[in-house]
Amino acid sequence: MTRRALSLLLLVAAAACRGGGGGASSEGLTVALMPKNKGNPYFVSCRQGAEEAARELGVKLIWDGPTETDAAKQNEVVEAWITRGVNVIAVSVENREGLSTVLRKARGRGIKVLTFDADALPDARDFFVNQATPRGIAETLLEHTSRILGGKGEFAIVTASLTAANQNEWIKEIRELLASKYTGLKLVDIRPSDDDRKRAFDETQSLLKAYPNVKLVMAIASPAVPGAAEAVKQSGRNDVKVTGLGLPNDAKPYLKDGVLDSVVLWNTQDLGYLTLYAANALARGTLKSGATSFEAGRLKSLRVEGDNILLGTPFTFTKDNVDRFDF
Amino acid sequence: MTDAAISRSTRALLLLLAVELVVFGLFGRNFLTLGNAFEVVRASVELGLLALALTAVIATGGIDLSVGSLVGLCAVVFGWLAREAGLAVPIAAALAVLAGTLGGLLNGWLVTSLRVPPLIVTLGSYSLYRGLAEAATGGVANYTGFPDGFLSLGQGTLWGGIPTQLPLLLLAFLFFWALVHRSVIGRGLQAIGYAPEAARHAGVPVGARLRLVYVLSGSVAGVASLVYVARLGQAKADAGTGFELMAITAVVLGGTSIFGGHASVPGTLVGLFVLALLQNGLRLADQPAELAGVLTGMLLLLALVLSRERKPS
Amino acid sequence: MISPRVPSPHGRSRELSLLAALAAILLVLGWKAPRFFAAANLADLATSVAPALVAAMGMTLVILARQIDISIGSQFAVCGVVLGLVAKLGLPVPLAAGSAILAGASLGAINGALVAGFGLPSIVVTLATMVAWREGLRWATEGTWVRGLPESFQWLGLGQKGGRLLIVATAAAVFALVAWGLVSLRAGRSVYATGSDAEAARLVGLRPRRVVFGVFVAMGALTGLAAVLTTLQFIDVQANAGVGLELRVIAAVVVGGVAISGGRGTSTGVLLGVLFLAVLGPALVFLGGKAHWDRALQGAIILLAVASEAARRRGAAHD
Repeated sequence: MTRRALSLLLLVAAAACRGGGGGASSEGLTVALMPKNKGNPYFVSCRQGAEEAARELGVKLIWDGPTETDAAKQNEVVEAWITRGVNVIAVSVENREGLSTVLRKARGRGIKVLTFDADALPDARDFFVNQATPRGIAETLLEHTSRILGGKGEFAIVTASLTAANQNEWIKEIRELLASKYTGLKLVDIRPSDDDRKRAFDETQSLLKAYPNVKLVMAIASPAVPGAAEAVKQSGRNDVKVTGLGLPNDAKPYLKDGVLDSVVLWNTQDLGYLTLYAANALARGTLKSGATSFEAGRLKSLRVEGDNILLGTPFTFTKDNVDRFDF
Repeated sequence: MTDAAISRSTRALLLLLAVELVVFGLFGRNFLTLGNAFEVVRASVELGLLALALTAVIATGGIDLSVGSLVGLCAVVFGWLAREAGLAVPIAAALAVLAGTLGGLLNGWLVTSLRVPPLIVTLGSYSLYRGLAEAATGGVANYTGFPDGFLSLGQGTLWGGIPTQLPLLLLAFLFFWALVHRSVIGRGLQAIGYAPEAARHAGVPVGARLRLVYVLSGSVAGVASLVYVARLGQAKADAGTGFELMAITAVVLGGTSIFGGHASVPGTLVGLFVLALLQNGLRLADQPAELAGVLTGMLLLLALVLSRERKPS
Repeated sequence: MISPRVPSPHGRSRELSLLAALAAILLVLGWKAPRFFAAANLADLATSVAPALVAAMGMTLVILARQIDISIGSQFAVCGVVLGLVAKLGLPVPLAAGSAILAGASLGAINGALVAGFGLPSIVVTLATMVAWREGLRWATEGTWVRGLPESFQWLGLGQKGGRLLIVATAAAVFALVAWGLVSLRAGRSVYATGSDAEAARLVGLRPRRVVFGVFVAMGALTGLAAVLTTLQFIDVQANAGVGLELRVIAAVVVGGVAISGGRGTSTGVLLGVLFLAVLGPALVFLGGKAHWDRALQGAIILLAVASEAARRRGAAHD
């Protein structure tokens, strides 16, 4: 009985083999968008912008990726998309070297490749949708830190995980700037939050007690901002402020309270929106190398420098402007 | 579980594999292509190596939760030796496998000489090995720029598009199949899992056998780390995160009893591909990754319920 | 019938060594970083430890019964989201807390039914449920936190001081209840009996399958409570909390002397284990330790704890 069922199924499978092939849908474009981590609120808001653009353009959007930051998984997902056949792959790269190999393969198969938020190697993609350079982010964060501390003082960083590539790049830039430009500031310690709000909360509590001279906590991961801010608030230490990188909706209550001084980011929804528009234009051939500007729907015209499509400069959310945003 | 029960469960698994081929063949774009098959194999080799070694460990009634962390440790050992210390790649690779062997040795020693339950030992070494990898690199270091020859181990193809690492998996499969199913050692392993004291009285050198399986598990983790680094082109402390749970899932799905005593190395390989095809097929069918996770959990439960044994307790 | 003595055949050796280790850390802190003992820091620690202790008591029951539950991290995440969603519906927060605990108990019941009802191995069952529930939750929430909760959510509306007191008091009450129950209630002693020898327990009239089912339900409910005690410290609910919780809790219970083979262990040991591991993290920050050494140290400590105990037992057996 089992043997017969098996052979029957294999026959059907063989039949399906001939039928299931083919490239991307011929009715419209298919854009595959991959974040570093599907669960991270930062990328969740990128997705919202991307879906808005996909609706406007009539493009099919596939949104998938690792559910936890996982370099190896990204490779597998891109391989699957190459097999499935899509028009454009747009990815926020966790693993620069490793993913670049697969992205080159995709390009070799005629798939257009974009990176957003975090870049691959330049020859592995057509364009990079860049929201801010690591140096730019580090500069902005230290500007705020310096302003809050009056140019001189101790601060600590609460980061994502110890191995997080983006954060490590920012920290590297921060260290360089501390040595060259912001010599009055001292970075006392770096603690990981592993993208967990409670962990950021606990680590900040320890930092405040262990280093009483720390007057600023810089939280550079989106779940870490509310965690660190809540810890400072509960400690009752009015002399300590928080700044960092995070989403305005998470930051809003703490900005209003005053414990969070400022939060740096860019419009993540716009980032997703722009990426989709760029993907669409790339696939249709309206965006080519050598372009110096690019029109993206409601974002109007954006600057293109070389192979970087620039969203803009980092934006600082404060208690005065945060109400204008909802993401 | 008797041998009849195992072949029953392996048959059920093969049926499941066939169902997957049909369903995803219909709903997944380009699922049933040779290129896709090769890519699925390529991505599964590291897990496959770990799962094969784990089968021997679980056959003895033990477990090894530290294999994923050991992959991470061996990866950074290799990366540092090859890129910072300037050693030749083959030497760095050998030393990385040695590091894995030492890790397995520590596990084995704690289990046999100190009689600490394997679950606890490998829970501790799960943290320790990953922790050593993080401490050595500060979490930050990411070794890249390996020579093309090495990278082809993970990214290259042999004639016809066969992934370079496939022969390695086949070799490991043959080795562990022979070890567990065709050798005196293998019979001893399953005897230990089934009734350790009886095995001891029957003359099985229990301590030596246990140490062997844990050492093998560690060495294989070292080899797997090399394939991983070659495939991704980078060596970082987070290599292999989560591999241990997937490997255990493959082993149990394949019909090996978690209590030990009866093992199936072929079952492990089939179980591995059932899981790999599930993930791959769902992706090609535009389904979200979370669905693969939910289905994997349910599949595991189903496999357990269908093949449950009345364990004499 | 069943001796009321707490089964710990090697006397109090584990508790004593833990107490010694804890004292050692505190001494080092007292010498190098006396700031650790500031009242504010101790209050922070107590509040932080409370949910972990609650979860650890549940895990103690499970491991004493010779089972294991590696799905509690996922249960924690689900219960937190249930708490938030029910509170958002406008229902009073205590009711929301109750539903979160109920949700935990239900998830525990699923584990229990599979293990006790079908006789499946708990490690694999809870591996399967761990994956299924976490991915299922991710799918359902799509990563979105539960926001816009009423004012009365944080601290149950009692304010920081009152809220913290409530959290610590609840944990203390749970600890006392479980500790007392394990020794004095027939149900408690049957957990020990089932863990030592389920067949013998059955022969003397206990119902091992019911005991096993019960401990999983209790684990689930206590995980739900731990989620409530944690989440009420904040103003919103993270979509994906509790990652790695099972490992931390199991480590604390095992370091606390509960044998993984079932039937042996004391509540005092678990309390000390929880305290020891809870103090270790912040202590390292105070002593200026760098974060990338944390995991290695924790792993080394777990191994040292179990190895030294095993070595001592071996030495005693040889005498």
